[in-house]
Amino acid sequence: MVGIMPLDDVTVVDLTHYTAGPFATRILSDYGANVIKVERPITGDPARMLPPFYEDEPGLERSGLFLWLNTNKRSITIDLKKDEGRDLVLELVKNSQILVENFSPGTMDALGLSPTKLLEANPKLIITSLSNYGQTGPYRDYIGNELNLYGMGGSMIGAGNVDHEPLKTAGRMVNYHAGYVAALASALGLYTVEERNEQGDHIDVSIFETATHSIDMRLNRLMGYQYTGRLAGRQSQASAVGSGVHPCADGYFLITGGARFIPNIIKMIGMDELLDQEEWSTPEGRAHPDRIDEFLPHLIPWTLARTKEEIRKEAEKHAVLGGPMNTIEDLMNNEQFIDREYFQEIDHPETGPIKYPGYHFTLHRGEDQPMPDRNRAPLLGEHSEEILAEIGVSKSEIEKLKTKNVI
Amino acid sequence: MVSNNSKTLPLDGLRVLDLTVVWAGPYATQIFGDWGAEIIRVESIKHFPSTTRGMVMRPTKEMVSQKGSLSAYPDRDPGKRPWNRTASFNAHARNKKSMTVDMTKPEGQKVFDDLLRISDAVIENNVPVSMDRINVNWERVSKINPKIVMLRMPGFGLDGPYENYRTFGSHMAGVVGHYSVMGYEGESPDMTGNTLTADAAGGAGAALALAAGIRYRNHNDKGIFIEIATAENFANYLGDRILDYTVNNRLASPVGNRDLSDAPQGVYRCKGEDRWIGISVNSDTQWEALCKVIGRNDLSKDPKYSTSSQRHSLHDTIDQLIESWSEGMDAQIAMKDLQSAGIPAGVVMNEEDAFSDPHLDEIGFWETLEGAETGKNAYTSTLWKTALTDRSHKRAAPLLGEDNEYVYKELLGFDEDKYAEFESTGHIGMDYDI
Repeated sequence: MVGIMPLDDVTVVDLTHYTAGPFATRILSDYGANVIKVERPITGDPARMLPPFYEDEPGLERSGLFLWLNTNKRSITIDLKKDEGRDLVLELVKNSQILVENFSPGTMDALGLSPTKLLEANPKLIITSLSNYGQTGPYRDYIGNELNLYGMGGSMIGAGNVDHEPLKTAGRMVNYHAGYVAALASALGLYTVEERNEQGDHIDVSIFETATHSIDMRLNRLMGYQYTGRLAGRQSQASAVGSGVHPCADGYFLITGGARFIPNIIKMIGMDELLDQEEWSTPEGRAHPDRIDEFLPHLIPWTLARTKEEIRKEAEKHAVLGGPMNTIEDLMNNEQFIDREYFQEIDHPETGPIKYPGYHFTLHRGEDQPMPDRNRAPLLGEHSEEILAEIGVSKSEIEKLKTKNVI
Repeated sequence: MVSNNSKTLPLDGLRVLDLTVVWAGPYATQIFGDWGAEIIRVESIKHFPSTTRGMVMRPTKEMVSQKGSLSAYPDRDPGKRPWNRTASFNAHARNKKSMTVDMTKPEGQKVFDDLLRISDAVIENNVPVSMDRINVNWERVSKINPKIVMLRMPGFGLDGPYENYRTFGSHMAGVVGHYSVMGYEGESPDMTGNTLTADAAGGAGAALALAAGIRYRNHNDKGIFIEIATAENFANYLGDRILDYTVNNRLASPVGNRDLSDAPQGVYRCKGEDRWIGISVNSDTQWEALCKVIGRNDLSKDPKYSTSSQRHSLHDTIDQLIESWSEGMDAQIAMKDLQSAGIPAGVVMNEEDAFSDPHLDEIGFWETLEGAETGKNAYTSTLWKTALTDRSHKRAAPLLGEDNEYVYKELLGFDEDKYAEFESTGHIGMDYDI
């Protein structure tokens, strides 16, 4: 019986590390799943030693990246290379519905945790493997990272400016997106098992594929090429009248212009009389490339006299498509995000209370049932004994596992 | 609730009413449709959804000959009914059905009510004021079907000062600080270009929300209303940069293609027009291997370059060394050489590369579909693969109103007279009547 959250009777064995995999299980935990994060003894998830660190001082419990990616999870340390460690995982999956892993392809087999072995232990298990290039195919063993996966799969060839080299997207977005898809694939796998009474299954999520298949500029340019044979390449933002990233009083403001939207932009800057002039009065005239440069002397003084937020309000009022080029600080102070109480403060023994990004989506279950607060990320091995006790490992056995350095 | 299945797919039997537009919402229903759910696009011949079925209803041949994938039509010809031929619609709409109804009229509202009664979920991603106009909200929907899952995807949420701020993904990205991280170092942000990642994030999130909602419904025997504010959802993709600010008060700034700690990393020119390769060095071993591949073995033991931070401070020099090798190389060969040497490297693949890629081909990434008004083309297969499910797309993207007979007659029990009446009153049709 599900209670408060959609997944709160679901247990996930989480063998992921770094970023994409932990992003996937973090989202499952957001919506109620009991996520058991299995970490290697002593060092734990390598993301624990990736910046940003609290006060810039490295430490296993001080990485902002790790703290953010692992809220709501419980941590158990297990040495997977030891037989007893492998057996503990096989024991854990007996009481679980989902296992997520993001080792290099082939590693799980080498650890004695192949899909066959896991499904033997629990025939209803959904196994989600998340990897750079998938579990099969010629690139399976290629080395992948954010840059080259975005280059090969994502919209990099179209990102950036025509006069420059292609440009990487921000941070770790390609990894996060694949993690999001892995969470989704796991949830649909669970549906198959529960609602259709199917056996467990092995899901193969590849970052290369999820990037190629993202409904962003990439997919649309791929389809555009398929239909027209045209390579999109990179463009200048200022490729249509009114379009571009324009300077304003406190930074820059992005406007989407073009023949269709320019009348609204003209009204926004109070130049209605322009529309009476011959070259501006017809759609064909407004679409003429000469209009691009002609319009800037009207637009730029207007934007320069206003702040990003002032322009945004005017844009909203005049149905102009545009947005402020904010910094992270602007985001933290944004009235909409504050009004909706998006950011959550989570306390932690090493860092004290810190603000985290909020939920991806909100379940409206009535005024009396707001979205719950998240728990902080676990300390390394914080829940080892508790989790082992739950699967019936006795106190003396736990001590034995400790002395053998299994946990 | 759907009973006429032939081949079993994981989501067979689920029916989703789809009021989504543009990209983010349609991506969610694409995923559900790919795995077997019946997706019924609820459209109207009295309203042309710009950027969903083309930028404009009837572009001229001249307009579509211009660059820009939003106006891509097969053979650069918009054809008689351009809304069925636009690439960005066909990219996501396979396996979906399309019906038309004018919900601004009372009898159209009743049709929608009747569909709500026989559906498992309803999803929309419009600015809230647009849904108010056709009275689509949880209060109404849950009264008619208390067991339905409703998913709304407003850009910034259903309340607050930005409630009716109408944006695309690129503008949401601006609001959440995306372009303060993505950009060329030392260049003004107008050089960045836009990639619309917020739409992809929104679609994946909406599909997960739908799955979570349906599980909640099935286990609790009551419906649920879920709200995914696309900008809030996307802000999570900047999570580590947000934490850097909240933990250390440090503001991110664009670093181009470089890595914050490891070096070198960059995108380097290769032989041919607009050909590039992305290369990263994440360890000293990889640096030594790179020196060998680019024919500069002499540098591998040069103490000037031995650590990552040294290489960072000499990044411009190293970039020139790499490029003086790469610009004479074929990008594909360079990738193979570098990968064989254990270096993370990848061709910056253009569209042609993706369609001829041996890996994508072998794993069955592309599926060919024949559309009645688009001809035969390759489309993406599912977003992930599973070991047990044997599946393929059921059909190409629907023509506007293609499934009106099915929806009105089979699902809603309309007789010929009533169907004809709805044809003559602006509800049923396959051409816009505006």
